[in-house]
Amino acid sequence: MAFYDNKHWLLSQVRNSFMLFDDTGMCEVVMAGENLAKNLDCSKYDCYPGVEESEDEKDMDHSSDIHPDLEFGIYRSNTAARLKRMEEEQKRNANTMHIKWEPHAAALSEEDKDELFVAKDFRRKKDKREFQSLLTEQLKKYAYLPQNPFQDYAKFDGNGQIGVPTKKFGIFIAMLSPELRNYPMHVVVLTTAKISQLTGLICWKCSIDFPDVTLKESADNYGLFIADDDGEVNWDFPCLDPKEAVAKFGFRFLALVEVEPREQNSPTPPVEEPPIPEEQSQPQSKAQRQLEVDMMRMQGHMKALLFQSFKVHIINRVRSRTEVFLGVSGEKVEIYPVASQRGPFWWSKSRSATYSIDSVVACDLRENKSNNKAVFRLVYDNSGANSSDVSSSLHHQPVTWSCFKHHDFEAEYKVSEEIVQKINLILDSRNSQRRAEYLAIRERKSHRRKSFNFGPR
Amino acid sequence: MDAHRQQLDEWIKEKEVLLVTGGYDHTIKIWQAHSGVCKQTMQHADSQVNALEITPDKHRIASAGYKHIRIYDIHGNNPNPVINYEGVSKNIVGVGFQEDGKWMFTGGEDCSARIWDLRSRTLMCQRIFQVSAPVNCVCLHPNQVELIVGDQSGIIHLWHLKTNHNEQLIPEIDASVQSIAIDSEGNYMAAVNNKGHCYIWTLTGGLGDEPTKLNPKHRIEIHNRYALKCKFSPDSTLLVTTSADQTARIWKTSDFSLIQELKTDSQRWVWDAAFTSDSKYLLTASSDGAARLWSVETGAIEREYSGHQKAITALAFSDQVPLNPQYFYEGSNDPAN
Repeated sequence: MAFYDNKHWLLSQVRNSFMLFDDTGMCEVVMAGENLAKNLDCSKYDCYPGVEESEDEKDMDHSSDIHPDLEFGIYRSNTAARLKRMEEEQKRNANTMHIKWEPHAAALSEEDKDELFVAKDFRRKKDKREFQSLLTEQLKKYAYLPQNPFQDYAKFDGNGQIGVPTKKFGIFIAMLSPELRNYPMHVVVLTTAKISQLTGLICWKCSIDFPDVTLKESADNYGLFIADDDGEVNWDFPCLDPKEAVAKFGFRFLALVEVEPREQNSPTPPVEEPPIPEEQSQPQSKAQRQLEVDMMRMQGHMKALLFQSFKVHIINRVRSRTEVFLGVSGEKVEIYPVASQRGPFWWSKSRSATYSIDSVVACDLRENKSNNKAVFRLVYDNSGANSSDVSSSLHHQPVTWSCFKHHDFEAEYKVSEEIVQKINLILDSRNSQRRAEYLAIRERKSHRRKSFNFGPR
Repeated sequence: MDAHRQQLDEWIKEKEVLLVTGGYDHTIKIWQAHSGVCKQTMQHADSQVNALEITPDKHRIASAGYKHIRIYDIHGNNPNPVINYEGVSKNIVGVGFQEDGKWMFTGGEDCSARIWDLRSRTLMCQRIFQVSAPVNCVCLHPNQVELIVGDQSGIIHLWHLKTNHNEQLIPEIDASVQSIAIDSEGNYMAAVNNKGHCYIWTLTGGLGDEPTKLNPKHRIEIHNRYALKCKFSPDSTLLVTTSADQTARIWKTSDFSLIQELKTDSQRWVWDAAFTSDSKYLLTASSDGAARLWSVETGAIEREYSGHQKAITALAFSDQVPLNPQYFYEGSNDPAN
């Protein structure tokens, strides 16, 4: 379902399977949208017109997404639920010693009375000297303990709660040092909490468990992304909508990542301008920059190394197009979302992605479209993303096709061509080993495909 | 070696400061008092927590709930009770311990106060004291042999455990006694009722088998609504009263004048309170789900403890310096390991 964007199929899901929402929010997009049934051309007598266009889902049958083992209340009788509760209770009580009041106990012996009830001389005056209690001492020691900004989120902690529905997540925290980052922090949250409150709770737990990590003041600076169980962040999806309830999401692992703080009051940003990349954010006079530009121009294709930003459309896995800025420089390739009302609402909050130029291995035009537009593909190496020293990481990791991931973009033909040319100029000037390997693998692959095609029939 | 010793010292101090809260969300939470961080949550299934007490050895917590008294290990990381005392038909509203941990006393809505033997697994001996109305509060005299029981009909009972002698008094007609306290030196007894009134007696006698005599001293209007709890400070110079009027008030025992009113906008009913052992700070538990640490001197909130989902109705605190901290250093029981 997550990667399915056939509108009719989704519509059928909404209508026939009573699926009102899914983890990706795609269902809501479908439902919130215009009346698709009216607008879509249904001249074909297909069950789901347009379904054959997507080749990877060919084998998808028409069955709904409902599985009998989904834990809907109606499938469990009250008795079964009660039995389960009793069983849990029993398990809980297994290690508890039970001592019962005896209604008809024997009278107390004098001996017992003498042993148990001894009057104490309470008049012995205590030491009246002033002293400092342990808590007073600790309070003095931590007198300037700064107020933890995430303190209020502690109440969403679901740990040990009784009778309140909770959800458990494994959270990978991007701000931690590499050796800690690979282990998820387990967070239990009340299902009634919103994603923003879960984010705050994670920050609270993080500030306690990892006091060395400095966190930004507000939970608005952080977003939760879907992650794999090995901690790899799934950048194909935007961060979870902070306003949504935790109950909606069924992921086991999420990643806490710093994001641009959300605008609280202005729904539409006044100016659509690409954010200035980090290197450029230092104050730099116009003249200085102009001089630099002139120098570069003189140096021929060195110009390619200069930062330049392009407005393009990114084609994501669900085949929808979202407008983004693609920033290319000699150092890295960056993708920033364009905050606008046109795209699906959730993309506008997505985080930008950055790829070091060393991890970019190819950029090629793929398709010329009739509407004067072209699609190009940016391929990057995903395996050694953290390692700056490519040759050493090579040693440990064999290069395979799966090490490489890609993004597809669409833009005006001229723009596409310019970007591809620029990136290739940069890549050529760097002569990276990773790129050579990628090209070799690609070559081999295409040979294999050809030999298969021309093989005996 | 010195560094090690210092570290050990810190560790002991850390362990000796215990703040425990419980309430309507069926959980008991242990807090790091100076940082406001919840260290452990324990489950108190099927019942709210009516009262909490730390055992004299500071290894366990007792909680009073509906039909049960549950005992939890503080340091075992076990979210479930280790002992469950049962066989009582209604809510248990108060719990406490004889100072050497020989027995436990409870009071409940089944109109009785009980003594539970703690010396062995079986109840070798048990005592019950029955009154005519549901018991609201129980309090042990520092002489360790007299139990004071306050009930809903407004009667205060003095029960001498050794001689079985008992006395009654009614400070105010038609006013339910909500809480009773005696200061650690045995000078004063205070009782608060649902009309917001507080009665103070000075105490005489109470040595050996001689019963304590109550001499009426003061009647103060402490709150204009339900009073819920009263407690003396460890140095006997202060009395705190808490109330449904969303405040806790601190009174000086020399003349019972008000010296501090503790309130804040978000605070609701204040159910329970406890002083630090030096009487410098006060901890309170409130219906807004938060516990708070107040400075007695300034009335300012020093820390807030948030994490409970519902009202906090019970609180227990101890930060007493252990009588003989040396025992930690002896033998193979090195706590640092």
